[in-house]
Amino acid sequence: MPSILTVDDSASIRQTIKIALSSEGYSVSEAVDGADGVAKADAGAYDLIVTDLNMPIMDGLTMIRELRKKPAHAGTPILFLTTESDADMKAQAKAAGATGWLTKPFDPDQLVKIVNKVLAR
Amino acid sequence: MSSTDPVEIFRVEAQELLEQIEQGLLDLSHNPGDKELVAAVFRALHTLKGSGAMFGFDALAGFTHHCETAFDRVRKGEVKATPDLVSAVLNAMDHMRALAEGRPCDAAVGDALLVELEHVVAAAGGAQTPAPAAAATPAQPARDPGLTTWRVVFTLAQDVLINGTRPLPMLDELRGLGPCQIRALIDAIPPLEALTPTNCHLGWEVVLTTDQPRSAIEDVFMFVIDDMTLEITEVKDSAADAVVEAAPPVASAAQPVADAEPHPDPAAAAGGDAKAARADASVRVPAQRLDELMDRVGELVIAQSRLKQIAGASQDMNLRSVAEEIEHLASELRDSMMSVRMVPVAQLFSRFRRLIHDLARDTGKEIDLITEGETTELDKTVIERLADPLIHLIRNSADHGLETPEERLAAGKPTKGRIILAARQAGAEVVITVKDDGRGVNRDRVRAKAEENGLLAPGAAIGDAELLQMIFQPGFSTAAKVTNLSGRGVGMDVVKRTIEGLRGSLELSSPAGEGSQVALRIPLTLAIIDGLLVRVGTARYVIPLSAVEECLELTPEQDARSTGRSVLTLRDQLVPFMRLRSMFDTKGPPDAYQKIVVVSTGGDRVGLVVDQILGDHQTVIKPLSVFHSEVGAFSGATILGDGGVALILDVGHMTSEAAQTSPAPLRAAS
Amino acid sequence: MTQNATLFENGAVDVLTFDLDGEVFAIEATLVQEVVDRAPETAVPGAPAFIDAVINFRGRIIPLADLRLAFSLNARNSSLDSRIIVIAHEIDGEATLIGLRADKVYEVTTLDEAATEAPPRIGLRWRQDFVHCLAKRDEDIIVVPDLAAIFAARGQPRAGAAITPLTSH
Repeated sequence: MPSILTVDDSASIRQTIKIALSSEGYSVSEAVDGADGVAKADAGAYDLIVTDLNMPIMDGLTMIRELRKKPAHAGTPILFLTTESDADMKAQAKAAGATGWLTKPFDPDQLVKIVNKVLAR
Repeated sequence: MSSTDPVEIFRVEAQELLEQIEQGLLDLSHNPGDKELVAAVFRALHTLKGSGAMFGFDALAGFTHHCETAFDRVRKGEVKATPDLVSAVLNAMDHMRALAEGRPCDAAVGDALLVELEHVVAAAGGAQTPAPAAAATPAQPARDPGLTTWRVVFTLAQDVLINGTRPLPMLDELRGLGPCQIRALIDAIPPLEALTPTNCHLGWEVVLTTDQPRSAIEDVFMFVIDDMTLEITEVKDSAADAVVEAAPPVASAAQPVADAEPHPDPAAAAGGDAKAARADASVRVPAQRLDELMDRVGELVIAQSRLKQIAGASQDMNLRSVAEEIEHLASELRDSMMSVRMVPVAQLFSRFRRLIHDLARDTGKEIDLITEGETTELDKTVIERLADPLIHLIRNSADHGLETPEERLAAGKPTKGRIILAARQAGAEVVITVKDDGRGVNRDRVRAKAEENGLLAPGAAIGDAELLQMIFQPGFSTAAKVTNLSGRGVGMDVVKRTIEGLRGSLELSSPAGEGSQVALRIPLTLAIIDGLLVRVGTARYVIPLSAVEECLELTPEQDARSTGRSVLTLRDQLVPFMRLRSMFDTKGPPDAYQKIVVVSTGGDRVGLVVDQILGDHQTVIKPLSVFHSEVGAFSGATILGDGGVALILDVGHMTSEAAQTSPAPLRAAS
Repeated sequence: MTQNATLFENGAVDVLTFDLDGEVFAIEATLVQEVVDRAPETAVPGAPAFIDAVINFRGRIIPLADLRLAFSLNARNSSLDSRIIVIAHEIDGEATLIGLRADKVYEVTTLDEAATEAPPRIGLRWRQDFVHCLAKRDEDIIVVPDLAAIFAARGQPRAGAAITPLTSH
């Protein structure tokens, strides 16, 4: 069963993602900010990471860069949450090493579809 | 059980975000140039808007969006954070709160607030840009009837694998659209020496027959479309089952691979090291779980005391040493639990800044709120219950205590009235005071009201302190007219009851010319305390150790000498003492050598005479039913190691009893 | 769960009957949490005589009430039959556990509303408001006490005796 890490400082978003992906059969863990995300990613073995960009302590962009520096996470798909209008953010995130994105507000079914697609299920 | 419903979780989050925004705005009104504050407020507004839209709070998201846009412009330097701008958003807080709580809202109110915001933004330097609508939902691809065969040829950027993109799932996805024939293009693979294994050197040619539209094929590459070469051509002849023709060399309209080097990102610098706004490395735990944990610790402590008893009676040294270790661990666990639940009162005090701001506006008075001792900590549940009483006291001060600027000037005081909110720890209690430098308590008015309500016989003599206590009686109100602010039926008597419900006490003082002050004393811990177990006759009682000053022996000579008197000399000081045997009407002869436990609270001391001191006891406080808490002498009870019950003495009650010359045996109210 | 006029639903109610100094009393069975044997009691100095002790009931400290005092009955010495009936009674909106002393506990039985009558205004040797109703069963009279009134009054029987004792069995 593939495992997914969701990184977001908003408990309600994490919960939404968790519910949507768990019911699809994924095992979902949570991190509350970028630093927590790096720590959990190092400690676990995740097949996919979904992250918000706007977080305290360490934001999403920095986290993605940190993760990509490490061989262990070099090939892990990372999806980020973005608002439709922010093309600049998207470019930065991609440059930082993100795999794909999801626009907010997102429909949980959309999330599942994209995760399935990226993980090839 | 904590809610697992994201909408419920969002409701809580929304309140926290609104709180953060409000505090940030208040801070910003003092420091308009602070970029960090602007960024913090923007982030919170941004999150509120985004999550609001996610969970169906469309009105909230729509409204917040405008505030967010305004702050985005400030953040980018297009517009300045003028006091008016800050005020405009601050004024919108209540409306946003109402939207977040799902309360019915007047759209006109919202519109008016937004118009004000628009004007203020324009004045601050930016022409208002029309707010873009929320994210559009992805359009549904139109169903293309019939089958089409496409040739899809693509190569990906070299570094896609590093970014976690996997080509194989893409091919699977294409297969999912319809039958495919796939051929890998290996021309670009360099010789072994030059090969970087993490790079993608492959391209693919796929001939796909599908009834899906072209957009479905493009969707497969949605994340990488900007950095790849992709050619989709319709194959017109019926080559659906034909062998894939030798493909012409891929026409590489190769776009430059995105440079992986990150450009300097201001957001990262701000987010990382510099003061991390309000978030500490903390974990959010539902308060109920803390309560449950507290109960477990309480039960552990009880079980441990039983173990202690058994071990104490045993000759087994191993058992005794383990029992001692467990006692030590239980004590530490208890301390940790206590500190987990402790929160600085700053959390409480910060709510009042907004209150003062509103009170000043509503009363037309100038009010300064000064807070002291904000780092003083209190149990989380206690803090929650203190909020309403404190609000009432503050409102009282603002409404009745403080004078208008004109009156103050006439009285020779500065026009700005002061309300001082202070917290400090005093032994086992936390003392919170609300003090104002207003006109003080009008004794005549209090007297008149007390007589009017039958609380006092006209003309009866009464001490000043007792007169002030009348204010806390139910049904008492000295407000000449009940104002909107403090006359909501939350009387001083409710404040008193709430504080007493926390096993605390409150005291009102108002020396002439010094305004008035209400002091709340709250015991630090509600659940488990260190106690001193004593025996009076055959019954056992617990005295809170924090109140115990010392223990002495009552010699038979002193005993004889002091019959009829109730004071003894202790190191040149007169200390009143009380024989608990008399007070509790204990039967049987007293022990030969009785003990005196000297306790103190709030400066008053009294010696309690007991038969025997049994030792320390980690006391899990169990509440007494209303029938017994009325007695006053006992603040709770606890279960002992042998299953028996020991009542916990209320030291405050004891010391005030001692203030009378000879305490009579406790009589039940008849 | 308070006792009130709707005690009898569908004309009957299940009650637990017990003995206090020879008189038979009954309380709603739904109020009863448990019946325990005598337990070590701890006196609470200064509490009303009616409710002057506490016991340890499953880790909770609950008050022990003696209805015999409310009805001016004699307190018998504890015997092998003595029990404590633990009830959940609502006070100020909160369910409070209270132990009731009983000289003997009989059984759970059904009382028909038809067999009950309100307490007489005179001739009753107890406070009228303490008695919810009286029920006749065979030759016995069963007293259904009004617990809410009794607890509110802290079990104080009115000063002064009533005129004639009520005939029971």
